[in-house]
Amino acid sequence: MTAAPYNYSFIFKYIIIGDMGVGKSCLLHQFTEKKFMADCPHTIGVEFGTRIMEVHGQKVKLQIWDTAGQERFRAVTRSYYRGAAGALMVYDITRRSTYNHLSSWLTDARNLTNPNTVIILIGNKADLEAQRDVTYEEAKQFADENGLLFLEASAKTGENVEEAFLEAAKRIYQNIQDGSLDLNAAESGVQHKPSALQGGRLNADSQTTKEGCSC
Amino acid sequence: MSFFKRKAKNKEPERVPDAKATRAPLSPQSPSQATRNHNAFPEASGLSKVAFSAISANMDSFASGRTAILKKQPSHMEAAHFGDLGHSSVNYQPQETRSRLSKSADQVLQDNVALPHFIHYMEQRGADHMVRFWLEAESFRSASWSRVRAHSLNSVKHSSLAEPVPVSPEGSDPQMLVQSAPSDPNISRGSPAATAERREPSSTEAGLRPGTPRAGTPNRQVTSRTGTPCKGQSNSTLRDLSDKLMKSIEKDAVTIFTKYISPDAAKPIPITEQIRNDIVAKICGEDGMVDPNCFVIAQSVVLSVLEQQHFSGFLWSHHFCKYQIEVLTSGSVFLADILFSESALFYFSEYMEKEEAMNILQFWLAADNFQNQLAAKKGQYDGQEAQNDAMILYDKYFSLQATNPLGFGDSVRMEIESNICREGGPLPDCFTTPLRQAWTTMEKVYMPGFLSSNLYYKYLSDLINSVRADEFVNVSAQSQGGSADNERSGSNASEGSQTQQGAKKAAIKILKNFDEAITVDVASLDPESLYQRPYAGKMTFGKVNELGQFIREAEPEPDVKKSKGSMFSQAMKKWVQGNSDEAQEEMAWQIAKMIVNDVVHQSNHNSPGKSTKVPKPPSGFLS
Repeated sequence: MTAAPYNYSFIFKYIIIGDMGVGKSCLLHQFTEKKFMADCPHTIGVEFGTRIMEVHGQKVKLQIWDTAGQERFRAVTRSYYRGAAGALMVYDITRRSTYNHLSSWLTDARNLTNPNTVIILIGNKADLEAQRDVTYEEAKQFADENGLLFLEASAKTGENVEEAFLEAAKRIYQNIQDGSLDLNAAESGVQHKPSALQGGRLNADSQTTKEGCSC
Repeated sequence: MSFFKRKAKNKEPERVPDAKATRAPLSPQSPSQATRNHNAFPEASGLSKVAFSAISANMDSFASGRTAILKKQPSHMEAAHFGDLGHSSVNYQPQETRSRLSKSADQVLQDNVALPHFIHYMEQRGADHMVRFWLEAESFRSASWSRVRAHSLNSVKHSSLAEPVPVSPEGSDPQMLVQSAPSDPNISRGSPAATAERREPSSTEAGLRPGTPRAGTPNRQVTSRTGTPCKGQSNSTLRDLSDKLMKSIEKDAVTIFTKYISPDAAKPIPITEQIRNDIVAKICGEDGMVDPNCFVIAQSVVLSVLEQQHFSGFLWSHHFCKYQIEVLTSGSVFLADILFSESALFYFSEYMEKEEAMNILQFWLAADNFQNQLAAKKGQYDGQEAQNDAMILYDKYFSLQATNPLGFGDSVRMEIESNICREGGPLPDCFTTPLRQAWTTMEKVYMPGFLSSNLYYKYLSDLINSVRADEFVNVSAQSQGGSADNERSGSNASEGSQTQQGAKKAAIKILKNFDEAITVDVASLDPESLYQRPYAGKMTFGKVNELGQFIREAEPEPDVKKSKGSMFSQAMKKWVQGNSDEAQEEMAWQIAKMIVNDVVHQSNHNSPGKSTKVPKPPSGFLS
């Protein structure tokens, strides 16, 4: 998806992590291309996709790094965690093992990203209800215990895919608003760009810093 | 992508990518700016100067590099190689390229640029003694080895002049011990046989004896006898040297020991009693020779402590940001620095996407990752699995029905095909040729543009802001003294404590002007002050103030700073002159605007009562 340059005010860096075969690349593809890749090959190392969405009236570009889930690529993919504003941790609701490995992925994510990184847990393949192996409730509990957002989604039908990315983006935006994420820090995973369309108008996040001016 | 092939014909002059010096012919302005950059940190607007100096250096080199590429005749046409570009083309070693911006702990310890920053960070944490111990132990080790080797070279030289005298070792050993006479009382007088054995390994370790291991020993034994006339002179000097050498090595070892290891040391390093005893034994060796490797175990213990407890804090600290800024403003930034640093890669990816060249970067990342993980297995990998992986890349980028074709030539494609279909699966260097071509394309075609782009400027600003925000927080935390929740951590920029949040937000407010559009933020600043001329027209000689004093205004003293207006126009001229490139001009405007905002803010910040006609900038402001 090409966009006019400077059409967006922010860029958020996301990473997608999780066991192999849970559907990370498919989620990305569904999100950026609105198509389901039935036969996609596994990811070698990392891949990259972008899309612009609107968050609280602001145009935000998401730069999404889709990592390989195979164990053999684990070492190389670790280097992409750093400086991510958001992380999607994906498991497959029809395969219990992918859920059990979440603690290992979460450990990596916590160790390698900064403390303010927003992590959202995604239970993919929600369309395969008949083969469900992990209940919504237990995953929700795990997410709550660890301070994660949680959604069940389906890359195949598109259900909740946009919401997954959007929820994380909203949380990141909120963090920027309340100052816990420093917009101008180099490792925040956020790029803030002046928007040509907005001219000289103050951006939404600057509204909190206005000092009673009457312009 | 026909341009891809066309570019192969244009070459740039060879350069040594690892040289830290700036490229003099291409960027004439950068050497002076580079030296100024290092002093620029403490100054408020100096920081913005750091950013635009870096941009200017890069812009200059880009502009002249661009014309150089266009003008240069192709020196030789080699389809397989993208040009004779030094190590980046012919000797491309994917596993060895590293970013100067992403370092591991032991790399930092050996890097003269990063090391001071690391030491500052550790000083703040009160743990710098560990770093200093490691450094001193390391230099002791290498110095001692080289001295011992040099000495044994000398002895070999001398002994080959002397006649070898076959003498039994027993009689002279105690005397040998006496002569080397270390002052350390712990030395034990081992049996002659044991010392002879000890001596052998250390002699061979010192190791440059061409095939006559016994030659040195009789020499030393001979020196212990006072009765030998013909070899008296050279042997006694040799003996003195040997003594002096041993003594000085030992003195160094004891110094390090006392400073860091002994239990009485001011700040002992955290090692176990057992290691300490081991070190003592190695310093006070039985034959009087100090083992130059005596501190190695302690060094590795300290290194792992540094890695586990301190290093990640360092990477999040503003000290590391400062180091990154230093690298990025050194005047020569290499593609390796960008690609192997996550934060730089974030910006570079965005740039590549804008340039619609994401495929090249994607391919490079994927193929490089593939090769790295294969190489890491050191030959113990499943050939079939590797082949499947390689085929995925092939189908995506190389095949005639590729989904993301990159325009590699037929010869490359066939080379890849044969590499993949190799018996036993592909090797870790399977994709080296196209990787090299992709690397060179990114380096020559895209990186110069990136380094002159707004994105890069933004990246630098963010780094600088991280430094400032952190330092601002630390300073304000210090000045707020007693409040309980103001514990200074000095590392992570996004600290949790409320007061620090408030202070940081204030800092962010101040610095946020960087990203506004071209118009000056009128909310809090008076734009008219921008154009105030304290020495209006320079036609007045002076004026009389309210106290009846005559204030001279002509010929201001040399150290009085120039008016803001002229600085503004100077900056503008500097940037806009001779440049018809709109992007550059726009960036120049942005930079100038940044300077203006900074300047105006500084003056308003420091003179709250705006009644003064001459807002004086703080001293050192425009240095």
